[in-house]
Amino acid sequence: MQATFRALTDSLVPSTRRIGYESPINITDMGVHEYLIYGLDHYIAIQEQLHHITLPLAYPTAIMLDEAATQLVNTGRAQASPQIQFPGGGMFSRLSREDRIQTLSALENLAFDLYLLPSPFQNNGGLIKHVIDALNRFAMFGYYSEWPAYGTTRLYPPDDRRLEFFPWGWQQVGYPGVSLGYRDFRGMLIEYEEVKAKEVD
Amino acid sequence: MSIDADVILIGAGAGGAVVAKELGELGVKVTVLEAGPWYGNKQWKEPNQHRGSVSSSNPSDLDVNLLRHQYNRQENTMNDVVSGRFRFGPADRRQSVWYRNIPEHGMAWQASGVGGSTQHYWANSPRAFASAVDDWPISYSELIPYYEKVEHTLPVQFAPTTSKEELFYYGAEKAGWSLIDTLNPTSPGYRPQPNAILPPNERLMDPNTSLHQLSHMEGCTLAGHCINGCPYGPSVDKVAKRSTNVSYIPLALKTGNVEIRPNTFTTKILTENHPEEGVKAIGVKFRDTWTGEVGELYGKAIVMAAGSIENPRLWLNSDLPSNEWVGRGLTNNYWDWMTGVFDEKDLMRILGNQNVNPFVGHTSAARLDYPGLGSIQPSGLSPGLTSFLTFGFSQSGYASKLKQSPDVPWDLQGRVVGNELKEWMDSYRNTLSFLILTDDQPNKRDGVTVDPFVKDEHGAAPVIQYTPSKQDTKKRNELAKITADILRKAGAKKIIRTDWPANLFAHILTTMRMGFVVDTNCEAYQVKRLFIADSSVEPNSGGGVNPTLTAQALATRTAEKLAKKYFS
Amino acid sequence: MKTDPDVIVIGAGGGGPVIAKELGELGIRVLVLEAGPWYGNKNWPNPNENRGEEKESSNPNDLDGALYRKQITRLENDMNDFVSGKFRWGSADRRRGPWYRNIPDPTILWQTAGIGGGTIHYYANSLRAFPHAIDNEWPINYADLIPYYEKVEKTLPVEFAPTTSKEALFYYAAEQSGFSLNKTLDVTSSGYRPQPNAILPPNEHLMDPNYSMEEISHMEGCTLSGHCGQGCPYGPTYEKMAKRSTNVSYVPLAMKTGNVTFRPNTFVTKVLTENDVKRGKRAVGIQVRDTWTGETEELRAKVVVMAAGCIETPRLWLNSELPHNPWVGRGLTNHYMDMVTGTFDEETLTEIIGSPSINPFVGHTSGARLDYPGLGMIENIGESPGISAQTLFAFSEYGYNSLGESNQEMWESRGRLVGSELEEAMKGYRRTLTLSVITDDEVQFHNRVELDPHVKDEHGAIPLVHYTPSEKSKMRREQLVKIATDMLRKAGAKEIHRSDLPPNYYIHLQSTMRMGYVVDTSCEAYQVERLYIADNSADYNSLGGPNPTLTTQALATRTAEHLANKYF
Ligand SMILES: Cc1cc2nc3c(=O)[nH]c(=O)nc-3n(C[C@H](O)[C@H](O)[C@H](O)COP(=O)(O)OP(=O)(O)OC[C@H]3O[C@@H](n4cnc5c(N)ncnc54)[C@H](O)[C@@H]3O)c2cc1C
Ligand SMILES: Cc1cc2nc3c(=O)[nH]c(=O)nc-3n(C[C@H](O)[C@H](O)[C@H](O)COP(=O)(O)OP(=O)(O)OC[C@H]3O[C@@H](n4cnc5c(N)ncnc54)[C@H](O)[C@@H]3O)c2cc1C
Ligand code: SF4
Repeated sequence: MQATFRALTDSLVPSTRRIGYESPINITDMGVHEYLIYGLDHYIAIQEQLHHITLPLAYPTAIMLDEAATQLVNTGRAQASPQIQFPGGGMFSRLSREDRIQTLSALENLAFDLYLLPSPFQNNGGLIKHVIDALNRFAMFGYYSEWPAYGTTRLYPPDDRRLEFFPWGWQQVGYPGVSLGYRDFRGMLIEYEEVKAKEVD
Repeated sequence: MSIDADVILIGAGAGGAVVAKELGELGVKVTVLEAGPWYGNKQWKEPNQHRGSVSSSNPSDLDVNLLRHQYNRQENTMNDVVSGRFRFGPADRRQSVWYRNIPEHGMAWQASGVGGSTQHYWANSPRAFASAVDDWPISYSELIPYYEKVEHTLPVQFAPTTSKEELFYYGAEKAGWSLIDTLNPTSPGYRPQPNAILPPNERLMDPNTSLHQLSHMEGCTLAGHCINGCPYGPSVDKVAKRSTNVSYIPLALKTGNVEIRPNTFTTKILTENHPEEGVKAIGVKFRDTWTGEVGELYGKAIVMAAGSIENPRLWLNSDLPSNEWVGRGLTNNYWDWMTGVFDEKDLMRILGNQNVNPFVGHTSAARLDYPGLGSIQPSGLSPGLTSFLTFGFSQSGYASKLKQSPDVPWDLQGRVVGNELKEWMDSYRNTLSFLILTDDQPNKRDGVTVDPFVKDEHGAAPVIQYTPSKQDTKKRNELAKITADILRKAGAKKIIRTDWPANLFAHILTTMRMGFVVDTNCEAYQVKRLFIADSSVEPNSGGGVNPTLTAQALATRTAEKLAKKYFS
Repeated sequence: MKTDPDVIVIGAGGGGPVIAKELGELGIRVLVLEAGPWYGNKNWPNPNENRGEEKESSNPNDLDGALYRKQITRLENDMNDFVSGKFRWGSADRRRGPWYRNIPDPTILWQTAGIGGGTIHYYANSLRAFPHAIDNEWPINYADLIPYYEKVEKTLPVEFAPTTSKEALFYYAAEQSGFSLNKTLDVTSSGYRPQPNAILPPNEHLMDPNYSMEEISHMEGCTLSGHCGQGCPYGPTYEKMAKRSTNVSYVPLAMKTGNVTFRPNTFVTKVLTENDVKRGKRAVGIQVRDTWTGETEELRAKVVVMAAGCIETPRLWLNSELPHNPWVGRGLTNHYMDMVTGTFDEETLTEIIGSPSINPFVGHTSGARLDYPGLGMIENIGESPGISAQTLFAFSEYGYNSLGESNQEMWESRGRLVGSELEEAMKGYRRTLTLSVITDDEVQFHNRVELDPHVKDEHGAIPLVHYTPSEKSKMRREQLVKIATDMLRKAGAKEIHRSDLPPNYYIHLQSTMRMGYVVDTSCEAYQVERLYIADNSADYNSLGGPNPTLTTQALATRTAEHLANKYF
């Protein structure tokens, strides 16, 4: 499962290795795959009789990606590479980046045999579209927000996390992070009182 | 609110298809939602494998070669109730069937798909007995023109005679019955079945024409596959057995006003409280059986034709106004089955042939009507169905464990297994079987409710219950005796009465009865613009005859009334 | 509260605290129940870690600005993560998952549970509706609303936004496209103007280098920190925070009346009613569940006000089995939004705004707007990087830019960007101007909140949300996107990206319990006496495009008056 999610984030977000950045947490995607897994596993909380269950979605999602990739390969829409980039991964992780995106795209268009997908995705087009979309968003929010900078505490419950360094995604795009304010006041184009006064006339 | 079609019609079975065609011809735009697949349509080349297109409205999408390929006439492929093409379930046969809770031994035998249960029906199309219609809020004479219109459109013809019919006529004569030459029987007698099956091709007996050629020409080939789907004919609209998917559906598409959407299960009727009209139907909610996606469609009127189980279920799951008769009063003709085995010598004498070969000809091509009791009809099925229906399906238990009563005119009653079964089945080709249809009376305790605990993807599951009354049981016994007598007189050596469980639902009717749930136009009393057009509106079981022609005649009438009220 | 309150208000978001404060000032005793946590209240020093010792708070001295500042960390993941952020839609305990909604489509549903509700993270744009969208549409007139608008504008207060780089560029772009400045609060023609924001004006010392930013952030007035979306904890005290979320504006004022108690961590699961022989159904109380302990309790009052937002208010109605009304949960609008982002080069920027970067994270998150009655509006948005990346480049109905057709005439890229494309786009972050397109979308019956028939959580059947725009709404959005693109192009943007957001993007939710359909003109439910609604759901339509909260607050002010007159 880890490998499948690594393959996923590798296709979605810039690789730190590619840009020659040594991540302080020593994972090329800044650990964003773990962010996805955490997010998916805490996404759906429901009640089943006496049990309040949090439905783990990460594992079935990984299976779904592999299953979809396999269908693409079997129908000649994608090619599996013999080279193993993500050890332990399934079919999805053996596709090229482009084909991985192709797989996601085909999934969100439901261009698949939905019966072969694992529960709760089996014949559940709405949930498939919903989750495929979420994978994209989670990946980017995980990467460009301060999440990776929680470093060794990143997988702790939210209140136990601590920032360990300046978020690298912020640094890359030039965001100063938490600020108390900016001296960039260029005046007021109109003032409220001005308009109110006009109204009274 | 924007409207998706003038009329949204739920179910493309026996009744739904008729309404679609009739309304389409009147210029009313109809969208038909059908829960099951569509066979013989190019938009779904592999209807059980892929979800294909969303809908079809073009008659040129119909393709008889495809239909033939899909209706492969294998009894298990077609009629397995769990995985057959004619099961009641989604097109994707890896998914399970739609669950019904029948808390008795029994089964509900319905088919989903464009054509509904007429895909596997036998096309027996008798009119209801006038004496039974006397109890309805409309008169028999009011029905006649609609009967005639359907008989003409399908069309209905008297069935040709093959060996099993000849044997039946012989026995019936011997037992003292005479031929009644009418469509409206008022006294007992036998006659060929009025069947919605095209007459045999004139070259059927011509040895210069191969059966292969014949099967691509117009007319019945006596192939005997009625129940396993009949794909024989030059084009879809000319297929021999007139299931609605080959009769009314092509006609509906030709009007240019009808769009049909298979794989679409309606889960709810949407209503609105209108200041003048009161509660009125405005649309439906549906679920795509392939993708699970849900949607809504709105129309000026809604027609339910989802059959006698799903209509009340839909009503109840939609929280429509409470009516104590919704789902209630179910009748099923309290079926029974009886089989006689003949000697080759006797058969040679009577038929000029050693075998009956029950698999030849229309599945059921003759009948004996008995207004007041019901009817019986000689019927011939393929071996798998025969063995399970004759010997495996009984409310009496195992025949060998039963003390067989010496007073009854049959030799055996109940299930037959093991060696004994093999012995009986060895004589399969020399059997004549009868389906017995009882004039059972609607009873409020019988019917469809929704399960408070079990839901499927479409909401609370239906629970179906039926217990015949003493009177019904008596009638059925009478009919069984008459049947045994005919068999015996024809020379049967051994007779078995299967004693089918009461909860065998194949003719399923009268759960949304006219006069109780719907008015004489078949519009719901409590929900305006909601019409019902299938076998559920019949007020009673027609005196014990096959229900479909009557449902179709009523549907024709309902379409007319609906169009007049809301679209004139 | 030791004795039953006069009025129970469900939800302390955009509308709830307003009605609570207004009623409190009239001497009516109010209990406000809020499902989420309370930040900045001494009774809950660690609101996400434990349930605290108190259940409720009514003393303004409990409010603590320093505590608020510590909790509102302004880190985008800590605050805005949909699964685990402090501003998520879920219970205070972030180890648990958020509260589940079934939206079977690509979606962002951005709501916050907590005292302040959606206004904790809102951008404080406080717009009056377009008069033409009220007059002749709503059952009340624009003129009826004006005094209430004025009262809220004064209370919050609302002020036009100051200009920072991104606004300067926006105004330049609007001028280049031929629009002119529209100095008004009541918009009848198209033009640009600063956003009327519920944000205090910048402190007069902001540009004075003798004051440190640290000092200024503890003084009154906006510091242009750009953290509006992550919560704004800048000001001398809790009730003087720069951004006027209801938790720092109306909540303290309500507490000061001495008549209002707020109780966080309390989820209302049912509205209780009684049948009055003469007057029909009326609300008598509610049932709640403590989100920390799971304990349930019933509370009674003379009047109940639902202000739980556009999803939970109809869900609560449906789960309480209040009388059937087809419009409950129906007619949902969401302004069918889109985003267009232009990236500029340094020279162009230096020429126009005198600096080589825009720094979208500076200043009010949204400080400038272009109104276009008949179509909707366009506003600038400057979010932090993670949120920008996810909404601009990850969330699209177009699919992946790299898989799309290459001949894009209007935009250099469209849809999702991944891998190195994403990296490129984000590298230009500091030089981007993002325009948010907000459509005057039509009310459609099929757009809805309903109960999921299969899934429950600890509060009952969960809501299922569905939205598809009408053809007209699509056309309007397309036109606005063209205008926005043109503005960016004319201002000299080098690369323009269109996100093409999916329709299920919920930032502004409105009109699921519409006035004239579910509630009367006083916002009392037609079918349940003593039950009022005071949130976005009572809107008749989407206001012509303007951001909804000010109108909700004006209506809530008005409703308080009507409610007090009728029952107290
Ligand atoms: C083996 C067998 C032989 C038969 N032979 C004869 C015979 O010879 N003569 C005779 O008169 N009768 C016969 N019948 C009975 C006959 O098939 C039925 O009486 C007839 O088809 C009932 O018509 P209907 O329109 O009520 O329902 P159906 O034909 O069952 O049509 C209902 C349709 O609605 C669809 N549907 C159900 N729920 C929904 C939903 N929620 N949303 C969308 N679509 C839905 C179903 O998939 C189905 O296609 C036979 C039945 C069986 C089982
Ligand atoms: C990023 C973003 C920016 C925005 N910017 C603006 C803007 O600039 N201008 C603008 O006008 N609008 C803006 N909005 C929209 C604004 O947030 C909403 O319009 C506003 O908050 C709606 O108010 P409400 O009272 O209807 O609902 P909410 O603010 O959502 O309040 C409902 C409250 O009820 C509580 N609740 C729900 N169910 C229950 C229950 N069963 N029991 C107890 N409590 C319950 C919730 O926890 C919540 O606190 C923005 C929204 C987002 C996401
Ligand atoms: S820019 Fe927004 S967050 Fe900031 S100080 Fe001003 S209001 Fe507060």
